[in-house]
Amino acid sequence: MRSANIVFFLILAFTVQAQVPDRRDTMIGRDMQEVVVTATRSERLMGNTSVPVTLISQKMITESGSLRLHDILGEQTGLFITQGFGRGVQMQGLSPDYTLILIDGEPVIGRMGGVLDLSRLTVGNIRKIEIVKGPSSSLYGSEALAGVINIITDGAGVRKLHADIRYGRFNTFDASAEAATRVGKMSLSGFVNSNSTEGYSLLPNSIQKTVEPFWRLTNQFKLGYDFSPATQFRLGIRYNHEDITNSIVVQNLGSQLLSKGSEINRDLNITPTLTHRFNKKVKTSLRGYLSRFASEQNLDVRGELNNYNDRFRQSFSRIENQTDVDFTDRLSMNAGGGMIFESVRSNRYDSLETLRSNQIGYFFIQQEWRALERLTITAGLRYDHNSAYASVWSPKLALQYRMNPTWRLNASAGRGFKAPDFRQLFLNFTNIAAGSYSVFGSLVAADEIMRLQSDGQIDQILPAYGKLSELKPETSTGINLGLQFDPSARWNARINLYRNDIENLILTDIIAYKKNGGQIFSYLNISSAFTQGLELEGNWQVHKQIRVSGGYQLLVTAEKNVLTEISEGKVYKRDISSGLSSRLTRSEYAGLPGRSKHMANLKVFLESSDSRWFANARLIYRSRWGVSDIDGNGIINREDEFAKGYLQANLALGRQLSPVLGIKGGVDNLFNYKDPENLPGMPGANWYLSLSANFLKSKQPSKQ
Amino acid sequence: MKAIRSVSVVLSMVSVFMFSCDKNDAPTADVGVVTTATVKDLTADTILGIAVTGQPYGSGKYTLYSLERNAAVSAADSASNKWDIGFRGTSIITNSGNSGPGVGGAFVFTGLFDDLKTIPSDSTFRVDNAPASYAVPNGSNKGWYVYNAPVNLVTAIPGRVLVIRTGTGKFAKVEILNYYRGGVTPASTASEDDKLRKQRFYTFRFAYQPNGSLKF
Repeated sequence: MRSANIVFFLILAFTVQAQVPDRRDTMIGRDMQEVVVTATRSERLMGNTSVPVTLISQKMITESGSLRLHDILGEQTGLFITQGFGRGVQMQGLSPDYTLILIDGEPVIGRMGGVLDLSRLTVGNIRKIEIVKGPSSSLYGSEALAGVINIITDGAGVRKLHADIRYGRFNTFDASAEAATRVGKMSLSGFVNSNSTEGYSLLPNSIQKTVEPFWRLTNQFKLGYDFSPATQFRLGIRYNHEDITNSIVVQNLGSQLLSKGSEINRDLNITPTLTHRFNKKVKTSLRGYLSRFASEQNLDVRGELNNYNDRFRQSFSRIENQTDVDFTDRLSMNAGGGMIFESVRSNRYDSLETLRSNQIGYFFIQQEWRALERLTITAGLRYDHNSAYASVWSPKLALQYRMNPTWRLNASAGRGFKAPDFRQLFLNFTNIAAGSYSVFGSLVAADEIMRLQSDGQIDQILPAYGKLSELKPETSTGINLGLQFDPSARWNARINLYRNDIENLILTDIIAYKKNGGQIFSYLNISSAFTQGLELEGNWQVHKQIRVSGGYQLLVTAEKNVLTEISEGKVYKRDISSGLSSRLTRSEYAGLPGRSKHMANLKVFLESSDSRWFANARLIYRSRWGVSDIDGNGIINREDEFAKGYLQANLALGRQLSPVLGIKGGVDNLFNYKDPENLPGMPGANWYLSLSANFLKSKQPSKQ
Repeated sequence: MKAIRSVSVVLSMVSVFMFSCDKNDAPTADVGVVTTATVKDLTADTILGIAVTGQPYGSGKYTLYSLERNAAVSAADSASNKWDIGFRGTSIITNSGNSGPGVGGAFVFTGLFDDLKTIPSDSTFRVDNAPASYAVPNGSNKGWYVYNAPVNLVTAIPGRVLVIRTGTGKFAKVEILNYYRGGVTPASTASEDDKLRKQRFYTFRFAYQPNGSLKF
């Protein structure tokens, strides 16, 4: 794995600046010398990017014993893994809806309730993960509002034959195999992963398991053909299959309703890319992307004739060109444009026959200018023209000032946006079981209410109905201000201050009442909020064999209209013992739910001098976070409205038994922390044991 | 029927305030003896069982209450102006419109109970028009409570005061404090059975102005 990193490093060595001292002797020095692509959509040394970038290496993923993407992301500074519609990632205090997830530069689709379930993604063949914080819509368009997480998978090219099996608690079984070879101008690689568990129950005597048994299969193939050193073709095909057993108990006004069935999610991605370098200064790439996601849930509801059946099919196709031009060694540019065709069929929106679609045309341009020897300015702009909702301009400006080789100052400001999704536009859902409420997407709500009105079913239409109009994309303005301190190859530190102002937040609101008392909801741009705080990170190579890293994030959030209401004295609370109401003060308002004010991590990595064995301990802390309103004022303020903060300790230990065979074991959540209500995905202490075999030792030159 | 059997009205606090004459406020009509009291565990059609449909059911009767006398009123007196408000589940009726023969009415004031010292003279009192509408709007987040479906709990919204015109045309203000027995909302993790058995027990405080003025 390390060799793969080094190869990549060598290929791109031409970007290395001469004055940077050689720091490749330590992991810490190497990290700063790593090439990252996500921040600027072109290769840059990590230390030279002017926006906050975190890099997770394959070595780190392997040694941490991670299986799925959320495992490793949850151990990073400032990332919070949410539970609900699967595992999502919260970045700089923004919901999972607002972080764009890419695999090899292409967006992953299949969000449910706005959340892209990260547990769908195996980390088995990930070469590295790049995390860019702050709005990046100027390069990536919709969803890149909080930031971008780009998963870069193993490339074809290096000969490889590798297999891995792992067994853990709850009969969790994971197996991967990977092979890669190169024949003349052609390179080929294949990867397969199977992941299954029997699940577990955190609440005794419950029929429904907290985590139901599932089986997941991932296949990935890559093909490369080099027509010449200047012209290269790459093709990637990835197929994911997920089969989850469902046994659901619904409490319906005191009685229990048992449903049995299954949920199957499948996604397929095909990515052909053609790149051509015209000369030293000009490079262009043409990328195609075809992605399909299908989800199907079938439930046999006991005692009901009509079984529950849910179908959702999403398609995302894109064609894009990007051209990079280095005008001089001080001025470079990348520019591009493309078309996106998106569509959804679902019985949640009318019927499977109805195709809901959106076309997006876009272009972007980014210039990087080394204005002074010490100052680099990056400016970018993107325009997205949509057929289903309002169009958006996304600018960004970033600069880096290198005071001296040790200190660097980074500042960036940009706009991000998230387009209204199909659910917010087209959902047509009525829940007869729970109070007969309905949720209508903003584009279908008016028609649906007119239909109900002509049937005489509408009791009252509320003022919010009048606000139904073309849904605007949710937008944010993000500012990041960072300082990097890089005194030696032994240690480094950085601090980053951030603030995100989000406008036009889309929330559901009641627009009408039915005569039977049922509420009718729709989606409206009704709120604005902010998140702000600071992030600290440090790395220290204590000794050749000992490395320590630590991180901390402070996060403060608020809904702006709540703040206004508090200052006007219009927000009240109820005392838990006296039952009396009183006015709420600003300090009592805990901000948006699901946010921890403090998050921290401390990791210690040990490695023997001959690299034969490793061991590590990772401590992850989160302070309490708001769950839901209990005292009736709609906001988080009272002690009993929070989930408790906790400390999690993960340990791993591994040894290379022979050049081929390696063994690894570990315990996650050593302190056996459990909170079934708020952390259903945390089953207490969780052990595992794994074996890996490397049949082909890479013949690439080792470091240096 | 145990409709009113278990009504245990506890006067936890009956404080009588004497309002002294304001220098500029000469009319003696404004000087009244305002009754302020807290009523605990007033049953409001408590649940008798679960129907085959899964819906809980009670006797279906309103518990009527006189704010003037600070006591429950027998259902036999429902067709009189002896009662001011009635409770059944989350529904609250006033002795007005088609709920009763009185001259009552109500509206929901957003603010603190203690801050409402004078009912604005241009206030509009709504009357009951059952089952379409009530003076105190029924429904989650429409009047005095919010229903949290995922945890199946009813919570009285803080900062909501029911401004009541009584059956005889006097004025009162009421703040609902809790909907569960003993004035304690069950934990969200409590059993469904517990949540059902303990609900429909009102704890509320009120101030009653017997002299017909709008001041408390």
